[in-house]
Amino acid sequence: MSPAVPSWPGVAASAALVVLTVVVARRGRLGLTRDITVAALRAALQLTAVGAVLLLVFRHTGLAGALGWLALMVLVAGRMAARRTGALPGTFRTATAAIAVGTTASMGVLLVLGIIATQPRVVIPVGGMVVAGAMGATDLALIRLYDEVRTARPAIEARLSLGLAAGDAFAPHRCVIVRTALLPVLDSARTLGVIALPGAMTGLILAGVDPLTAIRYQIVVTYMLLAAACLAAVVAVRLSERALFDDAHRLRPLPGRRPSS
Amino acid sequence: MTFPTGTPAFTLEQVVVRRGGSVLLDGVSCRIPGAACTTVLGPSGAGKSTLLRLLNRLEEPTRGTVSYRGGPLPGWDVLALRRQVTLVAQQPVLLTGTVRDELRAGRRHLSGARLAELLERVRLPAGYLGHATADLSGGEAQRVCLARALAVEPRVLLLDEPTAALDATVTAAVERLVRELADDGVTLVLVSHDTGQARRLSDLVLVLEDGRLVEQGPAGRIGRLREGA
Repeated sequence: MSPAVPSWPGVAASAALVVLTVVVARRGRLGLTRDITVAALRAALQLTAVGAVLLLVFRHTGLAGALGWLALMVLVAGRMAARRTGALPGTFRTATAAIAVGTTASMGVLLVLGIIATQPRVVIPVGGMVVAGAMGATDLALIRLYDEVRTARPAIEARLSLGLAAGDAFAPHRCVIVRTALLPVLDSARTLGVIALPGAMTGLILAGVDPLTAIRYQIVVTYMLLAAACLAAVVAVRLSERALFDDAHRLRPLPGRRPSS
Repeated sequence: MTFPTGTPAFTLEQVVVRRGGSVLLDGVSCRIPGAACTTVLGPSGAGKSTLLRLLNRLEEPTRGTVSYRGGPLPGWDVLALRRQVTLVAQQPVLLTGTVRDELRAGRRHLSGARLAELLERVRLPAGYLGHATADLSGGEAQRVCLARALAVEPRVLLLDEPTAALDATVTAAVERLVRELADDGVTLVLVSHDTGQARRLSDLVLVLEDGRLVEQGPAGRIGRLREGA
């Protein structure tokens, strides 16, 4: 019987799938051979390096090290989100702050209420999921915000012209943006376990945990992702608003380049 | 709230507006009287809308000063200023689902009687209060936008091409309303490219070309109005 976790020879054998992908790409003249090879090698090297560092953190640093690791992930996620949505002013700060708030609140509740253990081997993977969820919501919020401000400028200025403050003039658009940013996480929560088994649950089942125990983890993961995404989206929009309007409650001109989705 | 007739509502001194390398207004100086109707005339791209947007601080001059009631605009609380100096854009922008909510967009607590009065002012029946804004025609939408602006009881109404998309009958109704408001002491500044309208409505005409003020005075003294250009 094959092991639950692949051995190193098994990992090497899985490279056959990369070879298969390269063959398909070459036969189809997709021009992706180099990209596929580099991506596959990069994934292996990055994950090996991360695994080695995580081993050190798990064995030697305790909760402080785990939280430091999470802080680093937040910074990297903020940078990624800012790259995609860089057309808006001050996006790195906005995205990083939004992801940090979503992550801190979710992880704070999980740790303070003792829902998850404070060991690095728990905090880091769970925190990673939270950071990724918060980053996804931040990305979507900032991209939608850019589109909304461009298309709804006349409506926003009509409200400003009636003497409404910037926050009030933007309020209906804020709702639309946050709702859009939360759609993926809401959809995912609605279809959980029906369309596909979610990642955390899948991992636990693969590691030999029985399904009724695995779902407990997945329920917690779902709730924390909802909270992280919601908070991150709200913070991202609120902070962006400050950059969108000046002190005279005027909507600043936006740069022409649409953020890439 | 009105101005004593003849008192300048706005004073512009050497106003320059530059945006992205273009000069939208170039050294404009003028006085816009209170309790009167001023028309800003000129071809497309002359800077008419920019001038209008300066007056309620949706735009800021790059150089020069704009004063309202004797005080520089930045000295005013901008929200209070915009409740006094309200702008209605050229394209009607409806913000809510029903006409009733639309009229309350700038002032929430308005009685049913006041709402009906506002509609009557713009020549729409009170029965329209329950209408969906999505069902309004272009002319009706423009008049609802006007009524929405009047709901905040402005001293100054800035109208950007208020009749550009309207048929002759509705245009005549809006022009009557503009004249009535000016006679009631409201200051009106309207942007138009219609020389006939400028002649019919204006106490003062400002003519802009390429961002420069090339002529100003009572309608009867403006050369291009006499020529019917």
